[in-house]
Amino acid sequence: MEYFILFGVFLTLMIIGTPIAFCLGISSFATVAYLGLPPVVVFQRLNSGVSLFTLMAIPFFIFAGDLMMRGGIASRIIAFAGSLIGHVRGGLGQVNILASTLFGGISGSAVAEAAAVGGIMVPQMKARGYGADYAVNVTSMAALIALLLPPSHNMIIYSISGGGRISIADLFTAGVIPGLLLAVALMITAYVVARKRGYPTEPFPGFSKVGQYLVVAVPGLMLIAIIFGGVRSGIFTATESSCIAVLYALLVTLLVYRSMSWSEFVHSTLGAVKTTAMVLFIIGSAAAFGWLMAYLKIATIMIDFMGSISDDPLVILLLVNVLLLVLGTFMDMGPLIIITTPIFLPVVSSFGVDPVHFGVIMVLNLGIGLNTPPLGPVQFVAAAVGKISIWEAMRSIWPFYGAGIVVLGLVTYIPALSLWLPALFRGN
Amino acid sequence: MTAVVAFQVYMRFVVNSSPAWTEGGAIMIMSWFIFLGAAVGVREKFHMGFDVLLYVLPDSALPWLRGISDVFIFIFAAGMVVYGSELAIRFWSTTIPVLGLPTSFTYFPIIVSGGLMCLFIIERMALRLSGEPVDTASPNEITEV
Amino acid sequence: QTVLRSSDTHPDGYPTVEAVKYFGEKLSELTDGRYAVEVFHSAQLGEEKDTIEQTQFGVIDLNRISIGAFGTQVPAATVTQLPYIFRSADHFHAVLDGPIGDEILAAFDAVDLKALAYYDGGARSFYNSGKPINSPADLEGMKLRVMGSDIFVDMVAALGGNATPMPYGEVYSGIQTGVIDGAENNYPSYDTAGHSEVAKYYSLDEHLMVPEVLVMSKMVWDGLSAEDQAAVMEAAKASVGKQRELWAAKEVESKAIVEAGGAIINEVDKAPFIAAMDSVYEKHVTDPALQDLVARIKATE
Ligand code: NA
Ligand code: NA
Repeated sequence: MEYFILFGVFLTLMIIGTPIAFCLGISSFATVAYLGLPPVVVFQRLNSGVSLFTLMAIPFFIFAGDLMMRGGIASRIIAFAGSLIGHVRGGLGQVNILASTLFGGISGSAVAEAAAVGGIMVPQMKARGYGADYAVNVTSMAALIALLLPPSHNMIIYSISGGGRISIADLFTAGVIPGLLLAVALMITAYVVARKRGYPTEPFPGFSKVGQYLVVAVPGLMLIAIIFGGVRSGIFTATESSCIAVLYALLVTLLVYRSMSWSEFVHSTLGAVKTTAMVLFIIGSAAAFGWLMAYLKIATIMIDFMGSISDDPLVILLLVNVLLLVLGTFMDMGPLIIITTPIFLPVVSSFGVDPVHFGVIMVLNLGIGLNTPPLGPVQFVAAAVGKISIWEAMRSIWPFYGAGIVVLGLVTYIPALSLWLPALFRGN
Repeated sequence: MTAVVAFQVYMRFVVNSSPAWTEGGAIMIMSWFIFLGAAVGVREKFHMGFDVLLYVLPDSALPWLRGISDVFIFIFAAGMVVYGSELAIRFWSTTIPVLGLPTSFTYFPIIVSGGLMCLFIIERMALRLSGEPVDTASPNEITEV
Repeated sequence: QTVLRSSDTHPDGYPTVEAVKYFGEKLSELTDGRYAVEVFHSAQLGEEKDTIEQTQFGVIDLNRISIGAFGTQVPAATVTQLPYIFRSADHFHAVLDGPIGDEILAAFDAVDLKALAYYDGGARSFYNSGKPINSPADLEGMKLRVMGSDIFVDMVAALGGNATPMPYGEVYSGIQTGVIDGAENNYPSYDTAGHSEVAKYYSLDEHLMVPEVLVMSKMVWDGLSAEDQAAVMEAAKASVGKQRELWAAKEVESKAIVEAGGAIINEVDKAPFIAAMDSVYEKHVTDPALQDLVARIKATE
């Protein structure tokens, strides 16, 4: 009965459109009342769920990403990518992906990336005769690279949802190869589609021009070294690096590029505060929900259930991946990581899957969900800058979905893609 | 918050000693941000939800769904005030390590936030009952995290 | 059958977790199966600070916690985490198994907890990447990570070192990159956290021997019949012997592993360390009742 109350109330409220944080909180409240436990526990969890120093990285990385998008760091990186790779067949598509990869190394937000890179690239691509659908699909899929390359606040959300004991430095490192793999897979797909559609190439501007663009982009690109190097070598924590990213982005924007107005800055700050309050309030209420799941031993029940289907970790991972892909169609990434990690992580762990490896699988899987309607925020942004409907984008996105799924399969079934690099850095 | 964390890094590298209060202090500031922000979110309706039912039901159902949701939000917000206060009273005599403040302080943001949410819901309920068009479908603003 | 829920932050198989399971089996036997215990290990129900509150409210029934997590809530208990208060493991056991131990357990009543028994948490010693520590002079200028509490910061300062509070998870890379020189912990944690790989000098100064306690929610305790209360106490007593046995085995095992991995362990003459603590005691023990308690602990043979 208590299981029915916990999940029944949650699903009912979600269907009638109650904000997800309250769905989690109220269903926990109802279950605790039914069990006759003191309700204070729900509100204690709500409070301690957000009282974590690590969480502070989330608003900082969101804020930093937004500053970089508005402050000119992104546009300079795109110009550099354009000079470097524009002369390949369907060159602007390749430029789009390379720029996304570089920008993804300093921002963790796929929406910020779709807005920043798409906002500049999509109109250019349309003007040069590329189909709007192609431009939109390249943008929305390439934006997912930001989720895998460090910094990635979704990896932090995963670490916290997994009990806070999974190393964030390892998660950041583990995403590097899968992120680059996704970039390569998308470049190949974009090239093949571009050939078929007969898209043009750009003239190569010459090495001195490439050098000039590089010099201008360097202040932005330096952040890759600062964040990754700093976190990996233990000079500062992920939380501290996020703060440094904000300060650095502000510094470059205000002093080097001098490209941001006061009203843009205020807008950026308010946006970060709102997103943070919304996300962290969900994390808090999910802590209450998660406490009840532990108290009611739901993970154990899930492990037994999954174990009754198969005892092969490969089959279990396939099952979990399919479930996550389906859930990702309807729900947003952050809440899904928060809700499903406490359920799936103990299951896959009991089948011998490394928590760091599973984090990469989860982020990539749910990242693809950011591009699937009815709830696909990254796709919505890309379609909006391309001025086409979601349905027009959907018609030709399939080869790109295919590339994403292939990479997901490789990442799932070759653990070394995720685990080799962190092990290398740990020196064993 | 940025300042406090930046100060922590600065102290560690430049002064070579980490002040122990920065972490606790930054968490307390963040807690106020989150819970006050969550209350503002109730008023401005930027909390994320899924309007699955709205795809099948006529538009006239919207005020009803939002009204039911608001009743539940009110109950939870009231719980934040009541049980947050119970926690604050119970832990008045214990202290937060390092900061030296009563543990109760950590529960104040919940109480204040719950109280504001209750007020905002009452306001919206009153407007809705008086026929004002307060209900809209899910926010169109893009919210990915 | 009533299932009592118990929390522990340590993983399954850890001596404290196994001891509480053993406690449950004993309790089940003594009550003809009317009571059983389920251990929620690995902090499933929250970190210590949170689960203590939950136990106080009667949300969970039992909790295995380090006395260190109580801060100033139970003044008598804070005495056990004064640096160098216990001279040796034997002294530690003599104090806790005697009348002083009972007095401290009884002090938990004031915070809605019924403290049942003490478990071993081992002795914490310093380790660092540079050299063996033999006297306080060796600590001069060393940057050492300690737990985030004023008293430990003052302890390191009194010995001439620099205390650096840092999240536990950052310690490994902190030592590796030279942000800090070392940290302090017991053998099992020195081993499992991998710190022995980067800080190979482990010096047995044994500055802290903080007991772990098994507590029951006062609300749950008061709801038991006198007969069941006696059964709980008996089962708790029985679990102590079991836990000390498991802990000793764990220490031997961890010591062997770190030594095989190249750790260099040295014995330390504790007298000059103990002598350096006067200022720390003066600052942190101001209540006459606690000063008396400290004196009685030191006088215990
Ligand atoms: Na990134
Ligand atoms: Na989706």
